[in-house]
Amino acid sequence: MPDVQPLVSEFVLKLKRRKVEGSHAVARQTAELLRSVVSQHRMGSTNQAAALADAVRGVGEQLIAANPIELAVGNIVRRVLHIIKEEDISSTAVGIEGLSVTAESDDEYESGNDDHPTLSAAVLAAHARNALRAPSLQTLLEDIPVSTALSRSASSAGDSDGKSGDKSSKSRKLKHDVIAAIGDLIDEIDTCYDQISEQAVEHIHQNEVILTLGRSRTVKEFLYAAKEKKRSFRVFVAEGAPRYKGHVLAKELVEKGVQTTVITDSAVFAMISRVNMVIVGAHAIMANGGVIAPVGMNMVALAAQRHAVPFVVVAGSHKLCPLYPHNPEVLLNELKSPSDLLDFGEFSSCMNFSTQDGTPLLNVVNPTFDYVPPKLVSLFITDTGGHSPSYMYRLIAEYYSADDLVVRRKSTSS
Amino acid sequence: MEPDASSAAAAQNPNPNPSTGPPPISAVIRSSRATTMMELEIELKKASDKLKSWDATSISLSAACDLFMRFVTRTSHLEHEKFDAAKSRLIERGEKFGEISLKARKTIAMLSQDFISDGCTILVHGYSRVVLEVLKLAASNRKLFRVLCTEGRPDRTGLRMSNELAALGIPVKVLIDSAVAYSMDEVDMVFVGADGVVESGGIINMMGTYQIALVAHSMNKPVYVAAESYKFARLYPLDQKDMTPAHRPIDFGVPIPAGVEVETSARDYTPPQYLTLLLTDLGVLTPSVVSDELIQLYL
Repeated sequence: MPDVQPLVSEFVLKLKRRKVEGSHAVARQTAELLRSVVSQHRMGSTNQAAALADAVRGVGEQLIAANPIELAVGNIVRRVLHIIKEEDISSTAVGIEGLSVTAESDDEYESGNDDHPTLSAAVLAAHARNALRAPSLQTLLEDIPVSTALSRSASSAGDSDGKSGDKSSKSRKLKHDVIAAIGDLIDEIDTCYDQISEQAVEHIHQNEVILTLGRSRTVKEFLYAAKEKKRSFRVFVAEGAPRYKGHVLAKELVEKGVQTTVITDSAVFAMISRVNMVIVGAHAIMANGGVIAPVGMNMVALAAQRHAVPFVVVAGSHKLCPLYPHNPEVLLNELKSPSDLLDFGEFSSCMNFSTQDGTPLLNVVNPTFDYVPPKLVSLFITDTGGHSPSYMYRLIAEYYSADDLVVRRKSTSS
Repeated sequence: MEPDASSAAAAQNPNPNPSTGPPPISAVIRSSRATTMMELEIELKKASDKLKSWDATSISLSAACDLFMRFVTRTSHLEHEKFDAAKSRLIERGEKFGEISLKARKTIAMLSQDFISDGCTILVHGYSRVVLEVLKLAASNRKLFRVLCTEGRPDRTGLRMSNELAALGIPVKVLIDSAVAYSMDEVDMVFVGADGVVESGGIINMMGTYQIALVAHSMNKPVYVAAESYKFARLYPLDQKDMTPAHRPIDFGVPIPAGVEVETSARDYTPPQYLTLLLTDLGVLTPSVVSDELIQLYL
């Protein structure tokens, strides 16, 4: 599709240059881009869903490679792939059910080259639904011949309705459905704040003391919502060095009339004994329930655990990542410019590259993210409600299809 | 019920290898003269009970039998078909079971590759086909890693494992079972197989797995369990003694005086809180997923 390529490369460039940052912005723009990829995609006559998924996968690969740290990109690509699969299956299931009445005559010639007994339409539809689910014990024995039976029936369904007009309307319907579903996804990304903050009053009680680190829009909305429901509570804001977004949050909270105290990050442990609950945002939630969060979060989580203070993570479902963290401190991290930490003018003598063997004595490491292991998290609040870390896999199974998680798997199973 | 059907099942179980669940069962179906699903089901139930009693200690055997029975009794496939078609489908599935377990090991090996990074040291305990497959694939992907192999007393399965690994050109070091804590600081992760994965998400495995998991947990090292999903069993052991005991003779090299008791249990139970992740053919799972899968199937 030559028409979307400029859009794609523009977004790739933006991602590479870190011009778009933050899961929400990235997720939203990815979804919008993929929507235009789908709408520009010219539908072929056969195997439309696979071709469409291929196009999305191709674009998705470029986007993920452009900024692998923004896990939201991959999440949205996988969500869209899942949507395509879902819409395709629902449309073929409807098609097959309709066909089964008319296909009686076809049956004889079909069973001629079939060793397997022909399956009835209802069974096939059930399998189509099964195919969407993650592999489970239940389908372990059922799985084997299903894919062949399904593809055969799908192709025969395609062959038997000879009218081309019918076919093109069907393909248009698939595309239309997919676009509509991506639209829903974008809405979902936009409304996740409302959905999450609706639950605020259930978690924040009268006269409680809340601690948070840095600034997260989700946390801000969450606290706003509690304030609007006439809860009175106090908030400790750890400033979140080196970006000091906590200052911004403190200002915003005070504007809404919330009693706010700013503390340094290093004062978290000193203050934690007075805190009733820690509420923080996240960059991404991994499949094991671990959290990728702004740097300093692990320290807060450990302090909270030491004093048995609930550590609550609020995050929209677009931050739910189906991957497992392998070596997250290194692989899922980004080192930012040292200028956040040091004033170059003052430290210029220490950074002199001409000393000794050409390496300066002073090194600056400025990582963006922390990995908080699942055992330190008490609760996740997403747009679908509160969940424990060990339950995250279940949400993931709902949002993503299993064969998109590990892309390599596809080549071996087929 | 024909007596020959169930005895056929028992006779066709040539070795007490845990993963030979359903093939004999499909022999039962083939030799059965039942004319309705109900009859066939009763026959199968009897055959599988007999099969289980053949080796009452094998968890994966009984788990695989249960899984197959479940498939017979509730699969939506079979409802819409004529009896003969359903029967031939069941036979086919039974025969495919070996294939499923082979495919499962391949899937697990593939999923686990991300967990093995260059330069890491892996501790393994005893002999496990799945773990061997995992390490084999990692070696063929040119990953550089080192394996510490426990001896695996009393039957020295660890030595067998180390032989196989050495043959693949993987650097191996053999430890006596009691040197695990001593060596744990140089270990990056622990990989173990499982005889059975129980409903709590814990595992029943060769003696010594529990203490390795405890040591690893206290030193903050991840413990990964590689297990095929047909090993998920409907058991909920409450403690170490709450299992059908499997005994194994132990050769101490010196005569044990009369009146001294010997602990000959061959397996222990590792509770889920000491396991990091389960690598199965259903994907990478946290221990709590296991009960979820079992509930979905047997509810």
